[in-house]
This record gives sequence, structure tokens and C-alpha cells, in this order.
Amino acid sequence: MSTQSFDLIVIGAGPGGYVGAIRAAQLGLKVALVEKFPHLGGTCLNVGCIPTKSLLESAKTWDKLQHINDLGFEAGTPKFSWNKIMARKDKIVDDQRKGLRFLMKKNKIETFEGHARIAGKGKVSVTLADGKTTTLETRNILIATGSRVRQLPFAKSNGKGIMSSDDILFITEVPKTLAIIGGGVVGIEFASLFGRFGTQVTVIEAMPQILPSEDEETVKELSRCIKKQNVTIETNAKITSIEDKGKAGVVLTTTEGPRTFEKVLVSIGREPVTDDIGLSTIGLNTERGFIKVDLATYKTNVDGIYAIGDVIPTPMLAHTASAEAMHAAEVIGGKKPHKVHYEANPSAIYTYPEIASIGMTEKHLKEKGIDYKIGKAPFSPMAKAKIEDATDGFVKIIFEPKYREILGVHIVHARATEMIAEFSLGKILETTVDEIAHTIHPHPTLSEAIMEAAHAALGAAIHM
Amino acid sequence: MSSPDTDPVTEVILPSMGEGIAEATLVKWLKKTGDTVSKDEPLLEVSTDKVDTEIPSPATGTLLKTVALAGATVEINATIAWIGPQGADIPASLTKVTGASASKKIGQNRSTSTSNSDAHSQNLGRSNQSGFFHEGSTTTRSSPLVRKMASDLGIDLRRVQGNGLAGRITKDDLLTWQNNPTAHVDATPSVAPLLARLPTATKSGIESLEGVIVRREKMTKMRRLIAEHMVESTRVSPHVTTTFEIDLHQVVAMREKHKQAFAAREGFNLTFTPILIHAAVEAIKKFPIVNVSVDGDDILWKDSINIGCAVALGDEAGGGLLVPVIKSAETKSLVEICRALQDLAARARSKKLKPDEVMGGTFSVTNPGGWGSITSIPIINQPQVAMLGIGAIVKRPVVIVQEKKEQIIIRPMMMASLTFDHRVIDGEGGAKWLAEFKRVLENWTVEPLS
Ligand SMILES: Cc1cc2nc3c(=O)[nH]c(=O)nc-3n(C[C@H](O)[C@H](O)[C@H](O)COP(=O)(O)OP(=O)(O)OC[C@H]3O[C@@H](n4cnc5c(N)ncnc54)[C@H](O)[C@@H]3O)c2cc1C
Repeated sequence: MSTQSFDLIVIGAGPGGYVGAIRAAQLGLKVALVEKFPHLGGTCLNVGCIPTKSLLESAKTWDKLQHINDLGFEAGTPKFSWNKIMARKDKIVDDQRKGLRFLMKKNKIETFEGHARIAGKGKVSVTLADGKTTTLETRNILIATGSRVRQLPFAKSNGKGIMSSDDILFITEVPKTLAIIGGGVVGIEFASLFGRFGTQVTVIEAMPQILPSEDEETVKELSRCIKKQNVTIETNAKITSIEDKGKAGVVLTTTEGPRTFEKVLVSIGREPVTDDIGLSTIGLNTERGFIKVDLATYKTNVDGIYAIGDVIPTPMLAHTASAEAMHAAEVIGGKKPHKVHYEANPSAIYTYPEIASIGMTEKHLKEKGIDYKIGKAPFSPMAKAKIEDATDGFVKIIFEPKYREILGVHIVHARATEMIAEFSLGKILETTVDEIAHTIHPHPTLSEAIMEAAHAALGAAIHM
Repeated sequence: MSSPDTDPVTEVILPSMGEGIAEATLVKWLKKTGDTVSKDEPLLEVSTDKVDTEIPSPATGTLLKTVALAGATVEINATIAWIGPQGADIPASLTKVTGASASKKIGQNRSTSTSNSDAHSQNLGRSNQSGFFHEGSTTTRSSPLVRKMASDLGIDLRRVQGNGLAGRITKDDLLTWQNNPTAHVDATPSVAPLLARLPTATKSGIESLEGVIVRREKMTKMRRLIAEHMVESTRVSPHVTTTFEIDLHQVVAMREKHKQAFAAREGFNLTFTPILIHAAVEAIKKFPIVNVSVDGDDILWKDSINIGCAVALGDEAGGGLLVPVIKSAETKSLVEICRALQDLAARARSKKLKPDEVMGGTFSVTNPGGWGSITSIPIINQPQVAMLGIGAIVKRPVVIVQEKKEQIIIRPMMMASLTFDHRVIDGEGGAKWLAEFKRVLENWTVEPLS
């Protein structure tokens, strides 16, 4: 078999890799995409964003069903089938995978199923599913190998009592009790999910605050609401041992003493996948496992090799990976793209209520000694919030007092994540609070709270 | 609120300041919004490439709104303010863009500047107005934040290099420029040729051009306009120069004879320039081809001879140069030319010229001989076709033939160079004109006190 040669080989088919491959193909490059997992889509589609959001939507519906009588319906006692909820999730994931296959074909991207290793300059060797190895030649390589679950050294997940996020997405029954180690985004989303399906959830967080990178005030509001969903939060907690006792459950010992849970979810973060991809053969620099790149081009220290997504030390988010990938592909395709706007990179947490934010928190600003002011509007007086039966939460705009530049926005509400993009655009266009206040928002919508917060920022709230 | 019939609101239009003036820079508003003004009272000061002048109010009333900030460059016929009864609304019909020339530059601002009655109009109004900074020859994309900051910090956004999406000026770009007002590209035509070899900013923020450390300074408006006019003239006209040496002993003798009496009578000295202008007018009468303009394939013959005379403004006046015009010089006696020039030069230096006094020239003269220059080769002052450059009057030994005998004697000699537009004047025409100019001067008979 003659060796195939490409303009670009993308390693990893997550939201970084497949997006980069498509953009490069659009620019006329001959592109190959190598993925070791049998399905395209990476963490995000297979064990991340999409399955979790599917389950969380089911939890939201379940929650609503339980109050259905308050909404004027006369339904019997609602019931759910966990199997069917899981099947729905699997179907969504499967549909999206098929969609990706189609996109690869449409863009004439050659896909290889196998483990890729960089074998030297311009060479990638792929160990195919059947054990055979093929070597591909290429002018450029884009590393998009993403990240994987970080394990507790003394209690690796076993898929039974001790689970990672990868495992718990396939759990066959809703556990009665669940301890979640780590109150980051993944942990809190699962807490909100299982709590609403009736699990007694205990979140064990080592830091003084869950979701430590979010604004204290939004986290407080979420914590208040999530407590009503069978979730207990323990902060400043320390775990001394975990023991899976099989049918008897998992014994977890903290400073509080030993406790037994049906399941334990370890969600202490994710680590970049850089160990078995041949980096040392070409002398590529890493730092704490992450690949070091120039953020204007995503070039590594080795000519012709680029890296993006979870494998580089930027926010571990799917949309960030995609934005970086498009940029890198354009650089490879000879374009001069504008740099990725990290300061306008939104974050979204799909709990109930959701938290969506962009820019700086009050804590950041205090640490940096930056002067700021706040415009805030609650959802509770708003007609649309009442109509949607979702009055918890608020919009908080943090701005610089002189020119009223928007420094940070923190929204907590059932539908916060659908509202934050206004500020992604606003930040990129360097919009000030004034323009937000003068933007006509349709009535009645939840987005009116954004306009109201901007009016409050200018000292002239209408509905408060 | 107010109906236009009973309470008329008057639009203040930037009036025409004469031919060739397309725009003016607003130097200063002499009235603030809300002030009352009476008709013909000075409302604002403007500066053009040719004159500085005050614009009188066209009506009596309250200054309701101004739409252009000091420092903005505005086209002639653009609306710059409204005057009417206190508290009157500006009728929408008046804010519609009408004049074609006005619409290009400030049309947008005009249409957005109506009805600002809510709490934040002040802020929005300001950011709108700062839009003036980036109108003009190059359109500039920026952001609301950048426009606020630029207007607050007094930064002309046209000078700032935009590195954002589609060249948008971002806050970072503005701050970079503010810290080091050098890292920019100014795309105005006068400096466009420099773009090819732009200076580079070093890491330390010191700028260098081909390895030479440089300090950057913005041209004054006048400097920029001179630069534009000069570049434009060399582009339009194929320049040819011819030089004659002229013996001025007759002229010098006449001047010596009348110097004291002239100064006593007129209150200023009799200088050579008006004498040379007078001689030039005589030569033009004989060879009027140097007094035409070119319009496409047509030659425009003019029925008067208006002599522009370059006046250096000197350092006190901020440097630069104006070319006031002695109108209908062919009808003026020598002493009238002397008086006209004396008056125009003095008012040019104090920038008190009226707009029409720097316009309508048909031929120009420059005399840098006073600084010791022995020949001077001018660039034509468009739309004219010729300009006379005068050198210093220097005593030289010259060979004179008198009664068939050659002898060397000392004579006050002067080099005169005529630069002409080869589209309409050939070498012969230029030489013939200069020969006539020389003949008049070497056979001088005119007395200044007559
Ligand atoms: C539970 C969970 C929920 C999440 N929810 C969200 C969310 O709601 N929103 C959001 O923005 N982000 C979310 N994320 C994060 C998001 O999934 C990641 O940021 C994103 O997937 C990163 O994309 P990537 O392309 O860099 O890497 P990945 O998606 O990790 O893709 C990397 C791919 O490379 C493959 N690969 C690795 N090594 C090799 C090799 N040697 N050869 C061939 N293939 C290889 C892997 O199999 C994988 O398919 C979530 C993550 C988790 C775990």
C-alpha cells in the first residue's frame, strides 16, 4: 500500500478536531482525521456536553411534571423510566454522530479509526482497529487529542461503586445516595441531575466555594436553589479514604467521619491527553501535560505542528476548542485570522437554575484592584419569568465606572445559557452598558432583565 | 411642541468661504448649547487651508444643538447647528439630509442627532459626535467604548491603527496608541508615499525609520494642506523651469532715488517685490498664455491679472505659507501695488485675510531672495499655469558692451526663474515671457511717486 499524503492530519475528532478539519477542507486543503474511538465527536458528543444536557433536560421536564397540577393540569402521579430517558440521550448522541460522518464525507475528509502517533517530521503512524499500522505523510499536524477524566490516585474509578463522569452517563438505575467528589461544573451538573430524580446527593468540595471560577453571588443563588433538589454541599472538605464495598456500598471517610453511599462520582477535573501521541519523538514542549502554543497561531515549538482544545492550557470548553480550531485551520490554510477573543469566551453551567457568565468576577476585580460598579436586575418581578414559572435568579452586569465598559456579566436563571451570547457579541464589539440599555429587547421575554440590569447600571431601572 | 410657522428653527449651515474651499475645521464654538445669540453675532471660529474666520449667526434665538465638535472637519453646506426659540424641537424635516455634499460626511450624524430627551442622551450624543473624528478620507471602524474614550482623551481615531475584526479599532489599539502615539498608519494622501517604508516601533516603544531613531509629530492642518497641494500640483502639471539673469541697476537706481520720500509718505518701505510684480504684469499683458488655466481639453483665458504673492507666515504665526492675491493688478499703478501688497502681507501674518483675498489668483510670484537664495524654482499654484521665482539681488562683475567696447563693471544682478505648465506653455513661450520681464526691468522708467 503506497503511503498517503495530506496537507493536514488532525488527531482527535472532538469539537476541536472535527471543526478544524472541516474549516481546513473548506480552504481547499487535503485533510485526514484520525480518531481512536469508534465514533466521532470526542468527549463533548460522546461523554460530555451532549449526553449530560440531554439528561439535564429530562430532569427539568421531570421537575415540571411534579408541579404540573399547580400549572392547571390534572394528571395522575407522574412516573419516569430511566431506561427510556437514557435511550433518548443515546439516540440524540447517535444522531449527532451520524451527522458528523455525513459532514466528513461532504467535506471530503478522509477519516481513520485508530490511535495516532507522530512518527517524525510530517509523519503520523496510525494503529488501526484491526491492529495493523499505517503511516501517513502530511505537511501539517493539528493535535486535538483533548482531555480525559482525572482520577483520584488512591481510588481509581472502577465503573461500579466508584465512578467517573464517563461511567455515570451509562448508569442503569438512579442511585439512592450519591457522593460527588469535586464541586466543579461537571460535579454540580450531575448533582443537579440526580438530585432532581430523587437521589440524596452530597457534594464534597475541597475549596471554600463550589464552582470556584464563578462569581460568588451567582453561586450563592444556585446553592440556595440546588439545596431544594436533595443536594447537600460540603465545602472545605477533605477526603481521607474511599473503599468500594461492593453491594454494601462505598465507604467514604472525610473530616466528618466515615459515611456509606450507594455510589461515588469522582469529578475532580480533567487532564490533557498527551502521553501516548509521540510528542517526545519530535521534541514538542509540554507544561504540566498541556501542549504549549502561541495563542495567536496555535503553533507549537515544532514547525508544522499545531494544537488546540482541551490539550492546550486554555478554558476546557467545547466552543473554545472549536474557535481555536477554526483559527488554527485558517493559519494553516494561509489566512490571517483575527485572534480568539478569550475575554469574550462565555461559560455555561446547565444546572437548575443555570449559570452563564462572561468576563471577570467581582473577586478577580478586587484582586486586581480594578474599580467597578454593578447593575443588577432580578427575574422575580418580570412577567415572562412568571409565565415560564422560573422566577429565581438575576442578571448582574459589572462595569467600569468611567466609560461603562462591560467587565463581566453573570446570569443565574433557568434559561441563562441562552441569554449570554448577547454579551459575547457585546464584548467583541466593545459595547458599553449604554448601548445595552438602549437596545430594544422584545416584550415579554426573559432578555428584558438584561436591559433592566443595564438601566440599573445607569441608575434608572424601570421595574424595580 | 413648536410649529415651524410661529417658532422657526434655523439650520446653521457652514457657509461657502469661496471657490476652492471644500471643507473647514471647526476651531472653537463661541457659544454653548443653550446660549442666546443674535443674528450676525459671531457663533464659531473656523479654519480653512486659506483663512481663519468667524461664522456669524444666521438668526436670533437660542443655540439649540450643535452637531460638530471643535476639531472636526466639516464640508461646506453641512448643517452644524440649529438656532430657535428656547426648548424648541428640531423639526424632523430639517434633520433630513438634503445637500449632497453634506450628506457624505455628516449626514449620518445629523439623522441620529434628533430627539435626545432621555436620561442618557448626553452620553450617546457624545459618542455620536465623536464619530466626526473618524469620518473623512478614510473611514474608521471602532467601538462604542473606543469612541467614548477617544472623545474623552481627545484622540483623532483616524490616526489610530485598527487591529480588530475588519480593521476595527479596539480598546487595546487605542491604549497602545495612547502610550506610544507612533504605532499607527496615517492614510491621508500627503503621507501615503511614506507607507512603502513605514517606520517600525521597537519593543521599547522608540520608533525608527530604516534604523534611524525618529520623533513623530503631527502636521498642522496648514502643513498638511500645503503638502497635499504641492503633491497634487506636481501630479497635475508637467513642470518646466527656465531661468534668466537680469540686471537691475535701473530699478535699484530708481529705488535709491525715491526710497526716503516713499517711506515718509506711505509709512512703509519701498521694496523690490511690488516692482517685480509690476514688471510681471507688463510681461503678462504681452504674453497672456502664462495667465490661463487648463480645464480638460480647454484653455481658460482670463480677463484680469490677479497676482498671488507667497507670504511666509513666520514662526510667530505658526509657520506655513499663504498666497494673498492682488486683484486686477493690470489696472493698478506701482504705488497701488505697493500698498496692496503691504496690506495683504501684514494681514496674512495675523491671519486676518478674508476668504476671497486668497482666491482667484491667475499668476503667482515667490521671492525667497531675501533669505539669500540665488535661484528659486517654484511649484505651480494650481489652477494657475506659471509661477515666477525670484532670487537674491547680488552685485556681480558683468561684461557690458558700451559703444562697441567691452568692459567689466559691477551690477546688481538677479536670477528670475519661470516654472510653467508644459501642457500649455512650451520652452519658447516661457523664454519669451521671461525675456519681456527682463526687458521691462532693464529699461525701467516707472516712478513710484507718480
Ligand atoms: C461531563 C462533561 C460535560 C461537559 N459539558 C460541556 C458543556 O456543556 N459545554 C462545553 O462547552 N463543554 C463541556 N464539556 C467540555 C468539553 O467536552 C470539552 O471541552 C471538549 O470536548 C474539548 O474538545 P477537544 O476537541 O479539545 O477534545 P475532546 O472532545 O476530548 O476530543 C479529543 C478526541 O481525541 C481522541 N484522541 C485522543 N488521543 C488520540 C490519539 N492518539 N489518536 C486518535 N485519537 C485520539 C479522543 O478519543 C477524543 O475523541 C464537558 C465535559 C464533560 C466531561
